[in-house]
Amino acid sequence: MTVFDQLSLDGLRFNLTSEKNSAIPLDFFTPPSANSASFCLPNHSTTVRRPFPLSHGTTTLGFIFQGGVIAAADTRASAGGLVACPAVHKITPIHSHLVVTSSGSGADCMLWERILTREIRLYQLRHRRRLSIRGTAKLLSFMLHPFKGTEVCVALTLCGWDKESGPKLIYVCSDGARLQGDIFSVGSGSPYAYGVLDGGLKWSLSKDEAISLAREAVFRATHRDAYSGNNVDLFHITAQGWSQRKREDLKEEYYRDMEKRSKDRRGKIKRE
Amino acid sequence: MCSMAEYLDESPIQFGQISTIQSSSAISSQESILSPSSLPTSLPFASSQSVPLPFPMSHGTTTLAFMFQGGVLAAADTRSSCSGLVAHLVGTTSGTSADCALWKRILARELRLYQLRHGRRLSTRGAAKLLSHMLHPFKGTELCVAATLCGWDGGEKLSFSGPGLFYVCSDGTRLQGTLFSVGSGSPYAYSILDQGVRWGLTVDEATSIAREAVYRATHRDAYSGNCVDIYHITSNGWTQKANIGEYFGEMW
Repeated sequence: MTVFDQLSLDGLRFNLTSEKNSAIPLDFFTPPSANSASFCLPNHSTTVRRPFPLSHGTTTLGFIFQGGVIAAADTRASAGGLVACPAVHKITPIHSHLVVTSSGSGADCMLWERILTREIRLYQLRHRRRLSIRGTAKLLSFMLHPFKGTEVCVALTLCGWDKESGPKLIYVCSDGARLQGDIFSVGSGSPYAYGVLDGGLKWSLSKDEAISLAREAVFRATHRDAYSGNNVDLFHITAQGWSQRKREDLKEEYYRDMEKRSKDRRGKIKRE
Repeated sequence: MCSMAEYLDESPIQFGQISTIQSSSAISSQESILSPSSLPTSLPFASSQSVPLPFPMSHGTTTLAFMFQGGVLAAADTRSSCSGLVAHLVGTTSGTSADCALWKRILARELRLYQLRHGRRLSTRGAAKLLSHMLHPFKGTELCVAATLCGWDGGEKLSFSGPGLFYVCSDGTRLQGTLFSVGSGSPYAYSILDQGVRWGLTVDEATSIAREAVYRATHRDAYSGNCVDIYHITSNGWTQKANIGEYFGEMW
């Protein structure tokens, strides 16, 4: 019965949807407040104990260059020391010109990506135009805001192409940050990726150079970070939309790298 | 301060040892004033009661060291310290700056004493073991020192010679390796080093990779910065490369 058409935040009121007949009851989006009768106090003794520590290990990155936007990520989902899944999709398309890379809690990211996709599609149907990337980021940030201070943990990078303003890269996280930039890397492997990206990134890269730079950055991060690994996913977004590169197993890359190093050590090949 | 001079003369293994019986009695009897006769001669005063720190200790730095065909290269930003210990050894340290400065001096002193007593230099491996054993009594305290010792061992008497690179840390780690990077900026440096470090590098290539790695780390890490110190260790000893300013490298 309750329709999520108004949200009150410390006196700020804004309408997220103007329709009165949104069929899905969205009250589950609202975090428990002190007034709610069914709310139990944030006392750890009454909340359910986690069976394993949640982990936020990942490496995702995105950058803008002359040929569009590149988004890359590893595919490992870890839970404490266990590799829960070696083949996860951390980059999800929202619509034809927007993909989002996710890091943080896997469950939260999956849910919020679906919520975002739904809201964007509803906007498009109601207003007959697509919401801009900046508007999408703002919408997501405002939807996440009520959950600030709870244990929701999502850090998403929206990588897309606006018809009006070209390539865009915006980082949104559940802490409330919303940042536009040219290069972002998120996750436990991000420092390793930053080192490679900062060294190699130029505006004038060709498409192949940009793709190999992104692959190299994810590979170096997976090499050093225990919580990143397995494969690398790569998306390239241009004015024509996104295209996905075939998923590559980084094990092969590692073997090639080791082979090259051992050859060099044995002195069999000339240094290039 | 005559008791200080006494324990400075003791052999290094006993330095700083805190006996458990004394420390537990010290904790339980904090109200009573410890009479001079009950004070153990080797117990540092600071361990009887812990003083709250006035500000959080910073461990921000970026140091790195790697081996290649031309010897060992060590580099650090100048917010940490990288300096020659003795003629054939260079140490980079990170962690609490005060602890690092002190332990560097202690190690240098012990190495020199060893050389005078035994007539030969201690190998890099031996220096690492010595430092590790000296730091061991402080395991569990707030001491924080992480050092990479880079050296070139020579001499016909030794069964091993050539370049040596060891990482020693105050939590007891002692590792031998060919590539190390330590500090808050180390992840940024690691990816550059993993890309570029190969055995067959020339000295100039190795220097530029080390400089690039520290520069990238100082660019992204708030706790690293200023200039880059680079040291090159060969069989002839160590030489310091030019101290390169932060804005010297290519800007992007």
